[in-house]
Amino acid sequence: MAGRKFPTVLLLILNLLSFLPFLTISFSPDHPTDRRILVLLDDLALKSSHSIFFTSLQSRGFDLDFKLADDPSIAVKRYGQYLYDGLILFSPSTDRFGGSLDLEGVLDFVDSGHDLILAAETSASDLIRSVAAECGVDFDEDPSAMVIDHTGYAVSQIEGDHTLIAADDFVQSDVILGSTKIEAPVLFKGTGHSLNPDNSLVLKILSASSSAYSANPASKLSNPPLLTGSAISLVSVVQARNNARIIISGSLDLFSNRLFRSGVQKAGSSYKYEKSGNEQFVTELSKWVFHERGHLKAVNLKHNMVGGTDEPSMYRINDDLEFSVEIYEWTGSSWVPYVANDVQVQFYMMSPYVLKTLSTNEKGLYHTSFKVPDVYGVFQFKVEYQRLGYTGLSLSKQIPVRPFRHNEYERFITTAFPYYGASFSMMAGFFIFSIVYLYNK
Amino acid sequence: MGRSTTSKDAQALFHSLHSAYASTPTNLKIIDLYVMFAVVTAVIQVVYMAIVGSFPFNSFLSGVLSCVGTAVLAVCLRIQVNKENKEFKDLPPERAFADFVLCNLVLHLVIMNFLG
Repeated sequence: MAGRKFPTVLLLILNLLSFLPFLTISFSPDHPTDRRILVLLDDLALKSSHSIFFTSLQSRGFDLDFKLADDPSIAVKRYGQYLYDGLILFSPSTDRFGGSLDLEGVLDFVDSGHDLILAAETSASDLIRSVAAECGVDFDEDPSAMVIDHTGYAVSQIEGDHTLIAADDFVQSDVILGSTKIEAPVLFKGTGHSLNPDNSLVLKILSASSSAYSANPASKLSNPPLLTGSAISLVSVVQARNNARIIISGSLDLFSNRLFRSGVQKAGSSYKYEKSGNEQFVTELSKWVFHERGHLKAVNLKHNMVGGTDEPSMYRINDDLEFSVEIYEWTGSSWVPYVANDVQVQFYMMSPYVLKTLSTNEKGLYHTSFKVPDVYGVFQFKVEYQRLGYTGLSLSKQIPVRPFRHNEYERFITTAFPYYGASFSMMAGFFIFSIVYLYNK
Repeated sequence: MGRSTTSKDAQALFHSLHSAYASTPTNLKIIDLYVMFAVVTAVIQVVYMAIVGSFPFNSFLSGVLSCVGTAVLAVCLRIQVNKENKEFKDLPPERAFADFVLCNLVLHLVIMNFLG
């Protein structure tokens, strides 16, 4: 009896082992949402003061690993494998991370395609500033400077110094901020930053109003502030070329329970919102940054002759061909067809000879047909799709184009019959002339 | 007055040319007729090309060049068999005609290849 039970148990264990990969599911090309996230905090009290944000992440299936920023056991990498898919740096005052993590380590983490949320504060440490600077964001050089807005501040009981501002200048992008409009202004209290103009990947998500400036609220303003108006960015994002996504916020309070739950009334407006826009803003932004939205994949790039189904190894000049590619968007749990009317294909050899907009069947298939140009050489089908907030698609497939073979040219062209006639009549004329010339005596 | 003089002069010129040409040997007249035929065919083709366009350009070229080549070869033959040309008095007319035939064969071979 025991001898028969043993194989059954073994089988059961083997079965469970085969499920193991599904249990430890993490970021992969087929399943691009992050799963394991390392959260580095200055103080473990942040865990409770920002619990709504963390709970919303956990309820969406993320596995958060909280550590103090100076914990000596921090390691993001083991045996060349990253242990985490995302990193949340809620440690604005940390001068150096514990364990093996350093500035280089954070940048390598991003360079290998992982995501990062970085929140700074006034008096942010040099380490946090240099991480931000590497991402194309320059915080105000004055460590005690805050963003002040005397017309766009949030009304509160005490008059205050107008550093709690109600910002509502969002980027117009449904993919980053979700399709539901954020009605209430976002409460922001912290330092402002400007974007490095040399970095084309960084993007302002939440800008300050034109009346804002960045200065130390406690001291008298002796010089004109360096950062003013809507050039101040409050929250910025980066979408790197390797599809790593980064959020940089000048305020850690932006994510806090206090501001999530707080009502907001913008100065000059009589309407008081019961709840600030922070929760919606942060939740939507975190969906984007952890690849629950706006992640595209392109598969099944196919081409064939019109009327054919096989993919030829080569085309002839002036052939008619059909091109198709399937594009899907990740929703956090499944791939759904991506629908857009601006996907284009290039038939490319040094420069695009053909540039055509693909039409879609709304089920993810994009197709078009065109004539191969009257030029032979080694061409490429290229799809370069870079849209705000979406992962970039960059596909190319090489295909040679050959000229006509000598026996593929048209024969007996009707237009050319007079020329044929002339040539043959010359031959006949030569024959008759020879006879007449030889026998005329 | 002036016009009638001009036309009279032209008539006289034409007449003298005609009478001078009448003394040309018959074999040379046959060659002249053959050259005329080739030139007219070439002109017809050029006019045709000007109307319909130059699309089968190789066909057009071979058509016209066959006419031009024929005319040139015939003129060469005419120079060589003309008794008054002292330059070729050592060359027998049979030899000249054999050269002409050979050149024509080569010409038409090339034309056939280029015709399309």
